Amino acid sequence: MKTGHELIVENGQESIAAAAHNAGRHIQMNCAEFQRDLPLIIDTGGTEHQEAHLRTCAVCRDLVSDLRYIAEQAKLLIPMLEPSPKVWEGIEEKLKSEGLVKPVRARNT
Amino acid sequence: MMPSGMPESEAIERAKSGDGQCFEALYTMHKRRVYSLCLRMTGNTAEAEDLTQEAFLQLYRKIATFRGESAFSTWLHRLAVNVVLMHLRKKGLPEVSLQETLEPAEEDGPKKDFGSQDQVLAGSIDRVNLERAIESLPPGYRIIFVLHDIEGYEHNEIAEMMGCSIGNSKSQLHKARMKLRDLLKITRAERAASKR
Repeated sequence: MKTGHELIVENGQESIAAAAHNAGRHIQMNCAEFQRDLPLIIDTGGTEHQEAHLRTCAVCRDLVSDLRYIAEQAKLLIPMLEPSPKVWEGIEEKLKSEGLVKPVRARNT
Repeated sequence: MMPSGMPESEAIERAKSGDGQCFEALYTMHKRRVYSLCLRMTGNTAEAEDLTQEAFLQLYRKIATFRGESAFSTWLHRLAVNVVLMHLRKKGLPEVSLQETLEPAEEDGPKKDFGSQDQVLAGSIDRVNLERAIESLPPGYRIIFVLHDIEGYEHNEIAEMMGCSIGNSKSQLHKARMKLRDLLKITRAERAASKR
């Protein structure tokens, strides 16, 4: 009977996760392997295998937590910034010079 | 607020007919969002003001083509993004940065983090520090971070606007977030001390 590893080599498959599954044991993913898929993990969540790595690796756990936190905080950045009054003055002047609009009273000061 | 409590849809229709007061009301209502977008994408106040002006001038010239298929704010926002991207293309910044991401030896990639095991975010980030960090990102990273994480565009929309692949947009975004983490982080020891 062939082992899981032999079957994998025979089929030309290199997946560590598949190897672990076929051999009936769990192989711990390392940080390099985990971080290779980091963008996908951040946006859509990790696989069971990746979650297992997170439970045992504080470095990757902090990394994922930090990157998700940055993305969450960015969504909270509301547009609070006010352009200077000269922006509207410039628009109004340009529109008037092109004859596109009747003069309007500047209220955006 | 629209003149005399007028609904936005009516102000849009009147602005289409050349009503200056209604156009001014639309400016007043949307100026913060457009200016904030321009400022975050360029990181420069003078450029942001010029681009805000240009975006509203284009709005005035194109408002007759607005058919209401999307929300007016969405339509205006997309117009403003295109104004900024056109400006940045003229300066050549995004193309350079997009090309840089294709280089395998780029130092801002995720692998850089393997060794920095003692660095974490400084607890909660305040808005000012985050804004400053975003401002200091390289232009290519900053633009995609602003479009995706702040403005909520999807990668396929960004790829279309930027003229890059979806994969490139995802890669840029990840590198932007990693760079921001670098800019905002402190050592674990410092964070532990700050919690005491």
